[in-house]
Amino acid sequence: MFNNNLKVGWRNLKRQPFLTFLNTFGLAIGMAGGLLISLFIYDEFSFDQMFPDADRIHRINVDIKFGGQDGEYAVVASPLAEIVLDYSQVEMTTRFRTQGSMLIKKPDAALNVKELQTTFVDSSFFEMFGLELLEGDTKTALRNPNSLILTKTAAEKHFKINEAVGQNMTLNNSEAYIVTGVIDDLPENSFLRNHSVFMAMSGYEDSRSTEWGSNNYNTFIKLTPTADIESFQEPLQAIFSKYLVPYAQRFMPGLTEEAFKASGNYVNYSTMPLTDIHLHSSRIADISPNSNIQNVYILSFIAFFLILLASVNFMNLSTAHSLKRAKEVGIRKTLGSNKFSLIKQFLTEAGLISFLSLLLALVVAFLAMPFFNELSGKELSIPFFNPIFWLLLVSVAAVLGLFSGSYPAFFMSKFAPVKTLKGGGQSSVGGGGIRNMLVVFQFAISVFLIVSTLVVFQQLNYIQSKDLGFTKEQILIVDDVYGAGNQVQTFKQKVQQLALVKSASLSSFLPTPSSRSDDGYKIQGVNEQDNNLQMQSWRVDHDYVSTLNFEIIEGRDFDQKYGTDTSSIILNESAIAVMEKSAKEALGMKVVRNFQNEEEEVLTVIGVVKNFHYESLKDDIGALSLSLGDGAAKMSVKLNGGNLSNTISSIEKAWNEVAPGQPFNYYFMDDSFNETYQAEERLGRIFIIFTFLSILIACLGLFGLAAFNAEKRTKEIGIRKVLGASVTQITYGLSVDFLKLVGIAIFIALPLGWYAMNSWLEDFSYRIEIPWWTYVLAAFLAVMISIITVSFQSIKAAIVNPIDSLKTE
Amino acid sequence: MIQLRNLERYYKSGFQKSWVLKGINLDVKQGEFITIMGDSGAGKSTLLQIIGMLDAANKGEYNFFDEEVHRFNEKKRTELYKHYIGFVFQAYHLIDDLTVYENIETPLIYRGIKSKERKPMVAELLDRFNIVAKKDLFPDQLSGGQQQLVGLARAIIGKPKLLLADEPTGNLHTKQGEEIMQLFKELHNEGMTIIQVTHSEKNAQYGDRIVHLEDGYVREDKNVNELLERN
Ligand SMILES: Nc1ncnc2c1ncn2[C@@H]1O[C@H](COP(=O)(O)OP(=O)(O)O)[C@@H](O)[C@H]1O
Ligand SMILES: [Mg+2]
Repeated sequence: MFNNNLKVGWRNLKRQPFLTFLNTFGLAIGMAGGLLISLFIYDEFSFDQMFPDADRIHRINVDIKFGGQDGEYAVVASPLAEIVLDYSQVEMTTRFRTQGSMLIKKPDAALNVKELQTTFVDSSFFEMFGLELLEGDTKTALRNPNSLILTKTAAEKHFKINEAVGQNMTLNNSEAYIVTGVIDDLPENSFLRNHSVFMAMSGYEDSRSTEWGSNNYNTFIKLTPTADIESFQEPLQAIFSKYLVPYAQRFMPGLTEEAFKASGNYVNYSTMPLTDIHLHSSRIADISPNSNIQNVYILSFIAFFLILLASVNFMNLSTAHSLKRAKEVGIRKTLGSNKFSLIKQFLTEAGLISFLSLLLALVVAFLAMPFFNELSGKELSIPFFNPIFWLLLVSVAAVLGLFSGSYPAFFMSKFAPVKTLKGGGQSSVGGGGIRNMLVVFQFAISVFLIVSTLVVFQQLNYIQSKDLGFTKEQILIVDDVYGAGNQVQTFKQKVQQLALVKSASLSSFLPTPSSRSDDGYKIQGVNEQDNNLQMQSWRVDHDYVSTLNFEIIEGRDFDQKYGTDTSSIILNESAIAVMEKSAKEALGMKVVRNFQNEEEEVLTVIGVVKNFHYESLKDDIGALSLSLGDGAAKMSVKLNGGNLSNTISSIEKAWNEVAPGQPFNYYFMDDSFNETYQAEERLGRIFIIFTFLSILIACLGLFGLAAFNAEKRTKEIGIRKVLGASVTQITYGLSVDFLKLVGIAIFIALPLGWYAMNSWLEDFSYRIEIPWWTYVLAAFLAVMISIITVSFQSIKAAIVNPIDSLKTE
Repeated sequence: MIQLRNLERYYKSGFQKSWVLKGINLDVKQGEFITIMGDSGAGKSTLLQIIGMLDAANKGEYNFFDEEVHRFNEKKRTELYKHYIGFVFQAYHLIDDLTVYENIETPLIYRGIKSKERKPMVAELLDRFNIVAKKDLFPDQLSGGQQQLVGLARAIIGKPKLLLADEPTGNLHTKQGEEIMQLFKELHNEGMTIIQVTHSEKNAQYGDRIVHLEDGYVREDKNVNELLERN
């Protein structure tokens, strides 16, 4: 029976090649899109799951509001780990103190190797994350100061891994380390991806500090197997009263917890499961950049609707074309076939189409994979050798076949033989209402996606062209200038003398992604905690403001003429706002840096710099100060234009003169800026592609329906023509019904698009107002696309000679 | 009104031509009521379609009101359908989705007649054909005879000069057929030119001239009265 169904089904598909093509192609596109996105989402959810005790590992976060500034941190103060270790719920703790990039070499080697991500880490590291050493002993590997371990790839740059243990290494040309172990490379889908050098925390002086003033340590805890995280929250919160308040009282005598809270300040500790970090954490000082669960939702939404659109197409086309099958149903029924066996027949056909589509979808997904990877920034592949994948895929295809086939099957099996076998004029098959609804649904989604795409791109464009308060174009950043050691000033002078260079400045801090450092500040003599603040404290040089083109709105820039500028400071507008001073009042004011501890320093305000963006445009501009200092990791070079590669090679030549053998690394500031918005840009590109796909699917459906409609109405068209209707009138008559549907779709989709995109934009502190023409353009595009799709069929039908359709059978 | 000279219509199948019409000569004057008769496959429908400009001849001349039809383009034909020619089909060919009223009204819409003026025109025909009660029904709710009445009403509402009818009573009972033929006769008396195809000798008597086709030739072309006399 089933075999027979299959045979008949296959024949039916072959008999209607156009319909089979539309159905298969539409479903395949939907499936391929759904497949790619599912792999993407699966990967997103797989983050950090590979660590053996991942479900027991949590990170400690802190939210702080103090002195008009607030922040959500992924790092806490150094003493916290030791305190929570005493709690009964906690089995062990591990702290990371990330160091960014470092230069590393064997002491006698001529050339340094740059490792991008390095960190100090507690010796509990291996046990915490269940990591095994390929070489070395986990018990001792990170115990002693100045010992480090390397990943396999990092080690192999210097020696064979079985020779690694015991080797001496020099970091940043100055610090001596000894290699005590080698671990496997860390997976791409872990929070430690790209980290290659791990140094013993015991060698990091600050890690033993009992200060609570600065938060620098990514701190992880592992719960005992029986403990639950809820019972840990209360003791964690208690740290504030028990340790932070007494600590603060040392330099703010008389401070009480109540007063602190009454003025709206807070220090809230919380925990986050390790496996949640990738999708849920967007905190200051996350170890690796994370994704956003919102994007995962958006993508899931798109994947779901893509597949839904395709199956809606299938239903629409199948029921529409069922007119052709009506007679068959009638005859089969008079021959004694019951409804159930008819349903089985139609479902078999749907299943066949579904599996054909699946095969096509796999081919499409396979071919599209490289592009999709580039788009998503991942390295995904189709898991061809995973039996579970196949099982899943086949089940999905089967379910999809059943789902898409069910409506047409029940619809067609209901045909009454009397009606379908009646001679003379064909009556319509009905079901038009549902078909129309489905078309509206498809186009509503397409219009919604068009609006979304337009808004995402406008916002991206706005970000890229916004006045940031500094100039990012024509600025070359030479990275890792500490490689030049004490020769760095010489390097700067050599570069400044180059004809194509306007100016050069040494500083680790840039408005684009780079180092960040904050200190506590207060106005000298003012003890009110409201005007104390923790703010960015950037060490720069005399040429910094002019090189990056910041605007000093009050006072002056640092100047070589004044010998006293080492104790001068420039504040930004946000900083003086927190201090409740006007720009004029701020000038000459004395502020105390690091007032909480021994490094206390008094500085005089000499200028106020206009606010510039140094974090994502999603955030407001925080308080910031500039003061003179050394130890720069980067040199910013403002170029004059002219031949770029010549300029770069002259700068490189200067570098090689002062720092022979040190790697010369550079990048352009605007590139680095654009990378900040990579997530949004990816979202934008993904939107474009999937908008296109969903429109394509919707159009396939509309095209099929229009073809069916024109075919159904050939007789009518013929009659109308002999009654004197012109081609234009007929084309119009055939198209206008569809356009009405598209009109309704637009009417539904625009408010939804308006709402959704305004919510998306709320994430950005600096955002566009969606201009009215966005909606007009989206509606216009939808109408144009549907007119083109439909009129093709309508015109084709309208120019047919009526004699062909009016023949008496 | 109509002049056909050496009209030929053939179909190519492979390398062969098979003639449906060969050397047809026919003149139709305004006001005539002509019946085309002949065996099945003789080419009656083909001839009627050529006259109605639904089909074109392969060879020969066709003049309609002294204009050469083969020069007509789609627009001109549409113009003629609007103002000069009405069709009645054996299979009625009503539009399924439109009511009786709307079916009859359709040609007026194409002629750009305002809704206000259309109403009395449709009403008059409904009345004349005795189908006022059916005006809001759909074609599949009517009997064959009623459907053909609607078809005829629709064909003549635009007051065409020429009415072409291919076996208009072919699907009807004798009685229904007579009703239609009676209406044809009335229209003829009002001055309309009519060309009908029929197999029925009886129906042919309503007209004033009978053209007999055989194997694509006009075998006989006589006045009804002449024929009557001969019998
Ligand atoms: N498209 C076609 N291709 C080939 N032959 C055709 C075609 N249409 C009609 N014919 C042939 O033309 C002949 C005349 O047809 P028709 O005019 O319909 O005859 P009648 O109406 O007199 O019965 C028939 O033999 C028919 O087979
Ligand atoms: Mg015929």
